[in-house]
Amino acid sequence: MPPPLPLVQGTLDLLVLRTLASGPMHGYGIATLVHERTAGDLAVEDAALYQALHRLDRQGLIDAEWRPSANNRRARYYTLTPAGRKRLREETANWRRYARAVEALLRGT
Amino acid sequence: MREQSHRRRPFWYVRRRPETVTSEVDEELNVHLEMRVEELRGRGLSMDAARREALRQFGDVERTRTYCRQQDQAKENRMQRGLMVEDFAQDLRISFRSLLRVPIMTLTILATVGLAIGGTTVIFTAVNAALLRPLPYVDPDRLVRIYTDSPPNKFRFSVADYLALQEQQTHFERIAGYTDREMAFSDGIEAERLRGRVVSWTYFALLGIRPVIGRDFTEADGRPGSPPAVMASYGFWQRRLGGRADAIGKPVRLDGSDYTLIGVLPRDAGPLEQRQDFFVAAQWTTPPRKGPFFIIALGRLRGDVARSVVADELRAINRRLFPVWKASYQDEKATWSMMDLKTHVVGDVQTIAGLALAAVALVWLIACANASNLLIARVTSRQRELAVRAALGASRGRVVRHLLAESGLLAFGAAAVGIALAWAGVGVLHDFGTDYFPRTQEITFDAAAWWLLVALTAGSGLLFGLIPAVHGTGGPTNEALRSMGRSTGSVSVRRLRRVLVATQFAIATPLLVVAGLLLGSLNQLGRVDLGFDTHNLLSGSILLPPAQYREPRQVAVFWDELQRRVEALPGVTAVAFADGRPPNDVNNFNNFDLEDSPTAPGQSQPVTPWIAVTPEYFHLLGLRLLHGRVFDEHDGLTGNIQVVIVDRAWATRFFPNESAVGKRLKEGGCTQCPWTTIIGVVSDVKYAGLDKPDQGSVYWPMAPRGSRPIEGATTRNRYLMVRTGTDAASVLPALRQTVRELDPSLPFSRVAMIDDLVSQSLQRPRSLSRLVGGVAIIALLLSVIGIYGVMAYYVKQHAKDISIRLALGGGPGDVLRLIVGQGMTVVGSGLAIGLLTALALRRLMSSLLFGVSAGDAFTFAAVSLLLLGVALVACLVPARVAIAMQPAAVLRSE
Repeated sequence: MPPPLPLVQGTLDLLVLRTLASGPMHGYGIATLVHERTAGDLAVEDAALYQALHRLDRQGLIDAEWRPSANNRRARYYTLTPAGRKRLREETANWRRYARAVEALLRGT
Repeated sequence: MREQSHRRRPFWYVRRRPETVTSEVDEELNVHLEMRVEELRGRGLSMDAARREALRQFGDVERTRTYCRQQDQAKENRMQRGLMVEDFAQDLRISFRSLLRVPIMTLTILATVGLAIGGTTVIFTAVNAALLRPLPYVDPDRLVRIYTDSPPNKFRFSVADYLALQEQQTHFERIAGYTDREMAFSDGIEAERLRGRVVSWTYFALLGIRPVIGRDFTEADGRPGSPPAVMASYGFWQRRLGGRADAIGKPVRLDGSDYTLIGVLPRDAGPLEQRQDFFVAAQWTTPPRKGPFFIIALGRLRGDVARSVVADELRAINRRLFPVWKASYQDEKATWSMMDLKTHVVGDVQTIAGLALAAVALVWLIACANASNLLIARVTSRQRELAVRAALGASRGRVVRHLLAESGLLAFGAAAVGIALAWAGVGVLHDFGTDYFPRTQEITFDAAAWWLLVALTAGSGLLFGLIPAVHGTGGPTNEALRSMGRSTGSVSVRRLRRVLVATQFAIATPLLVVAGLLLGSLNQLGRVDLGFDTHNLLSGSILLPPAQYREPRQVAVFWDELQRRVEALPGVTAVAFADGRPPNDVNNFNNFDLEDSPTAPGQSQPVTPWIAVTPEYFHLLGLRLLHGRVFDEHDGLTGNIQVVIVDRAWATRFFPNESAVGKRLKEGGCTQCPWTTIIGVVSDVKYAGLDKPDQGSVYWPMAPRGSRPIEGATTRNRYLMVRTGTDAASVLPALRQTVRELDPSLPFSRVAMIDDLVSQSLQRPRSLSRLVGGVAIIALLLSVIGIYGVMAYYVKQHAKDISIRLALGGGPGDVLRLIVGQGMTVVGSGLAIGLLTALALRRLMSSLLFGVSAGDAFTFAAVSLLLLGVALVACLVPARVAIAMQPAAVLRSE
């Protein structure tokens, strides 16, 4: 297995928002899901993930709430706010445009 | 709870819960690490290895912890701020509703404080415009008026004085002179007598005023023999000269001669110019004698010279000038002196302005004290409600904030009322204040006025907000709760309310005294005997322009014909001419030297009003002849004044022990003229104002009808005096018609009934006493409301004690004594302080009073009795409630 790629600047927020789009989740859950979905290709450090969560919370894009977790532990669950959902749509579109542009350039050579 | 309510925190304190934020971040990160460790142990790692691996995968825990805490804290702060705004909005909503529930109190506070704020602001704007702001000229600090100082008089300059000053002075950048002269303006269709001013050519340059179109006067315009030039005020140019730029260079017909219009002044020239219609360039030449004195001299000082040096020079020039004119001027004691131009423009209004401003500002204080008192009563009676709120978790700060919101709302409401009133008031003053107060054209709602409004609003809010808020929540909360609203209000609150009420009385008393003195003074003025019957007496002024009426014969014919025609009008019973008229229009003051008691060389000769009249004048006014005879058709025929008639005050002043008839004098400082003989003494008439003492007047003969016209004896400027048998106003249209028929180009101006003139001359004292009187009555009402409120509350709170007294056999007299005694102690102490204050103000007041002493015992006694009387009634009402109580019922209800 090749070593995981470092994250492109600014994509972490997008990953977090996208992960939360399917429902409320705690920090550990998000970390696990990102790891599984990308098959370990992306190196998401837990420290960076938590910083992103609190930053997005301050910006009002996600909401935090203490809830019992699946194994009956108290965990901090995050939910997407309407503002977060809107941001996710915009960022997704932006990312696709970006990726297409890079792809087109690479194919041209 | 006791502990919490006593914890001292500022009332704006907001809990930020930093400990919660920290622990939440810690817990979240711990949960994460624990989950990770479990997962790794599931894969078979040992506990130690799993922990190390979990930390390694996580990265920098400490940095993350710090970062997350910061983010959370920022969010928390923002939410708290939002909550605070919400709290504030809620406070306002609740306060608004709770104020609506006590509409009478709310309206009282809004109306009284609003009125006081508005009044204070209006008067401040007037004082600011007149006294505080510099004159709107270039470098106004260097502008002075120069005059001949012969205390108590400040005399104008003569042409001789002015020319000497111009020639010899070295410390002024420029000097200028002016004298006002009414001139008849005719546009060929309609004649109008307008306010003109003869100015030296330097006048506008000195003040720094530049014409908006055309040019300023130049030295050439002031040279004798140059074509006459005129500058128009903006208003006159707009109204009568077409308001177009091509009016420049066109002739303007004034007093029958053509003047060339050379320029137009800006719309808002200075306060000296605002009432003037046009300005003509003076062409002064050295006169044969020193007088007459009619020029107001102005100077612009050089920037670098001390005033004392300039004053020395002025005195020196005057000393050098004296010997030159010794033949026609003997007053060696008089010196030249100068004063700030502002003092000259504004005049002596400081006392009036200060009094008016102080009066309204004091009423503002009383209104705030009253509001404070009402609100304290409200807080004390709501002590239980507030205690419940505190018990339910509202911090002391929250309760205080709620109370402050209430007073803040009231303060802003009052300010809104005040702004509306001030706005209207400033407009009224601006439009109609000109007759009462200087520089009213310059009154504006400027930054200073807005700052005053802000200060008054904030001051009001604090005065009637903070005191009740701090005192209302002072007591331990649970004590207030336990007493279940039976609380008598803490001793300090009670004392505070009494101090407030005593202060109200201490302020209201001097206001009432001053109002009483002013009213007494006005009453005295109204009762002044003018010396004649003022009813059905008409007069108006006619000026015959020298250009049209060049020959003395023409002048004489005009006056004769006018008199003949007016006498023929129905309703007219007598007609006469004079050059001045009562009650305050003296055309001419003259000096004289008595044969029997000549003035020593170098001393000032006596000066009194000199009125020129035709023989019919005395009969027309109804003056009594005390000695000698009145004028007849043989008097007033020569250029010299051969005979005069004096009034009783004059006769008593100069000949206290013998008859004045037959005595001789030389008038006008003329030493070569023949003697003038006194031929009669008549009763007194007020010519120099109702409030001036009778210092004696002299009548000299005006050329009578049918006389042979001689230059010098035939005046072109006369008042027509008409006595009617019926209502004078009904004769007026016919009178105007007669003048128009005789010469349509002649303006008939200053037409008035003497009754109206008398009434107008009382306008200023009347409006001042009305203002102060109104203000004093408001102060009285508020003070009475205050004492009533305190005593009614006292009875309510002491219902139990009083009932016990009554139940134990105390008579109603005891209760009455107790309550009235309590109330009157407060009133009495306030009254005493107020009377002392009024006594201290005596010296300031005396200049505003006429016929009443500033320490007038009657006024002081009347005001004291009035205050004590109404205060007694205010105390008796709650006292009667107390006596009527059913002791058994009151005690059972407890």
